[in-house]
Amino acid sequence: MKHKAPSSRRVTYAASPLLAAKTPPGRSRFVVALVALAFAVLVGRAVYIQIIGAGFYQQQGEMRYGRTLDLPASRGRIVDRNGQILATSITTPSIWAIPKGMGADRAGREKLARLLGMTPPELDKRLAENANFVWLRRQVDESLWLTVKALGLKGVYQVAEYRRQYPEGEAAAHVVGFTNVEDQGLEGVELAFQKELQGRDGSRAVVRDRLGRVVEDIGEQVDPVNGRDIELALDSKVQAFAYQRIRDAVAEHKAQAGSVVVLDVQTGEVLALANFPSFDPGDRHHLTGAQLRNRALTDTFEPGSTMKPFIAGLAMQSGRVTPSTVIQTAPGWMTITGSTIRDAHPHGPLTVAQVIQKSSNVGTVKMAMQMQPREMWELFSSVGFGQKPQLNFPGAVTGRLRPYKSWRPIEQATMSYGYGLSTSLFQLARAYSVFARDGELIPISMLRQDGPPVGVRVFTPQTARAVREMLRMAAGPGGTAPKAQAIGYSVGGKTGTAHKQEGKGYATNKFRAWFVGLAPASNPRIVVAVMVDEPSNRVYYGGDVAAPVFSQVVQQTLRMLGVPPDIDVKQQIVTDALPAVQESF
Amino acid sequence: MNRLNALLLVALVASSLVLVKSAYDARRLFADLDRERGEQRRLELDRERLEAERQAQATHLRVEQVAREKLAMRTATPAVTQYVVDPGPAK
Repeated sequence: MKHKAPSSRRVTYAASPLLAAKTPPGRSRFVVALVALAFAVLVGRAVYIQIIGAGFYQQQGEMRYGRTLDLPASRGRIVDRNGQILATSITTPSIWAIPKGMGADRAGREKLARLLGMTPPELDKRLAENANFVWLRRQVDESLWLTVKALGLKGVYQVAEYRRQYPEGEAAAHVVGFTNVEDQGLEGVELAFQKELQGRDGSRAVVRDRLGRVVEDIGEQVDPVNGRDIELALDSKVQAFAYQRIRDAVAEHKAQAGSVVVLDVQTGEVLALANFPSFDPGDRHHLTGAQLRNRALTDTFEPGSTMKPFIAGLAMQSGRVTPSTVIQTAPGWMTITGSTIRDAHPHGPLTVAQVIQKSSNVGTVKMAMQMQPREMWELFSSVGFGQKPQLNFPGAVTGRLRPYKSWRPIEQATMSYGYGLSTSLFQLARAYSVFARDGELIPISMLRQDGPPVGVRVFTPQTARAVREMLRMAAGPGGTAPKAQAIGYSVGGKTGTAHKQEGKGYATNKFRAWFVGLAPASNPRIVVAVMVDEPSNRVYYGGDVAAPVFSQVVQQTLRMLGVPPDIDVKQQIVTDALPAVQESF
Repeated sequence: MNRLNALLLVALVASSLVLVKSAYDARRLFADLDRERGEQRRLELDRERLEAERQAQATHLRVEQVAREKLAMRTATPAVTQYVVDPGPAK
């Protein structure tokens, strides 16, 4: 250490001079710098992990012990006006498998295939679709899953899924509709109110331990929002009864199909809307074909004689006739621009009331030909013909009503008795509510209503009452539908019978029979429309086929609604017929 | 001074152990709670299912059929009904 070089410094590492290494000072500095650099890198890395990339690592960590659980929202229920369930969601197991985790246990697979209702090759094919996940069978019974579980197969699991249950089954099937396997509404109210019924799924992030138990919540929980319940105006008792009656009528008359619509005219609610043939909405295997059609809303037909009361109403409203004005209908036919209009039975001179009662085509045409086409068109559209029903329901059709400017005289004549325009049974029922409500047309609703509806006046109350009286006569002795009479309740209504349209003409041996009416006639509460398609058991007149169904439905519905009878009934209650002995006092 | 440090060390260790224990308890209780919640949900769904099933067993169509066939009952008509007028609330 005697001499000192300016650029170097001796570092003595040992006492022994033999060991004195002559390390250049640059090297030691280099080492120090290297170590410092290494520390700096470590610090940088720590800063990166702890501060800059913290989120990422935290997330990675959570991924390893945290799980996000789905909280499925349940679909809302559909209930009737009394709270009876028409559709509700229940959970059922769905069986799924991880094919690559299943192993090659032949015997086990065969047993599984048998339980699932497949053949072993079918099952193998299904399992070959995806190595990581396949549905084996969705929405099975709890008991089936327990049996499958008891097989003890590896790689077969279950998950709880919601399934719709329809307690009322086929009776209300067309109104309620159904959903697909993913819980999306496909028909009826299930489709119309999909948005309201469907809930919003929630989720929660949790920490799971080794045994799969949830031990902690992390982050925020999103609660599921369950779907809203839909309260229909339907009365399931009336609905079931109407369905049963139309089903029986279709069977009795060997018909193709039938429909019934029951409207409460005080509130504008649909109390029942039944069609036959029907289907079980809970059974997914048979959800195809014509049975799904809600015929009362989707099928249109020419309303025939049921249009006549509207013409009579318009003629009276415009002061052209009174109910007692006599119209000559002899000789039972008349000619308009070369075409002949006939009555099935010639009648001679009839009053306006009798024209409706006897359903005379000639009489009606004579009234109609005094009117402007525009007047008739305005009346028809104001009661809803050719207009799409303002009903939140899929499939409701508009019907056909051509613009009046293109009407030829013969068309105006035939339209007055219901040919050349078309309507659905539902539209017809709604149009008749005009007579039931003293000339007011009210909106019709599938949902339960609270306040009284606001109507639009079409006829004056006097006119509506006069037409109602004619309808009462038509459904009475000497009318076209005495079978529409109900015990205890006065009814009014009009029959219709028509050859079915086939291609461009009319089929000679295929008919459609219907009846639209109101009850009680003195102060109407309900409008009932009944239609039977292709009755082919000898009788086919609306008065014979549809009117009896009307009568039974009216009687039951009014009874269920608690409407007191308005006509005297011959009491069949057997009371003690013995004379009472005078009390002595 | 040393004694105080030793005391503090013991206290620290003890409180750490209590912390571990209580965290463990909290997790166990939470797992229990969660299981019970799951059970509650399952029972609610069960109730929903049973309600639907009960109603499916008692539809009007079925009730009427049973009443007609097994019990030989008939639908009441106004002809066999005695209507009475509610005299109003008794004073």
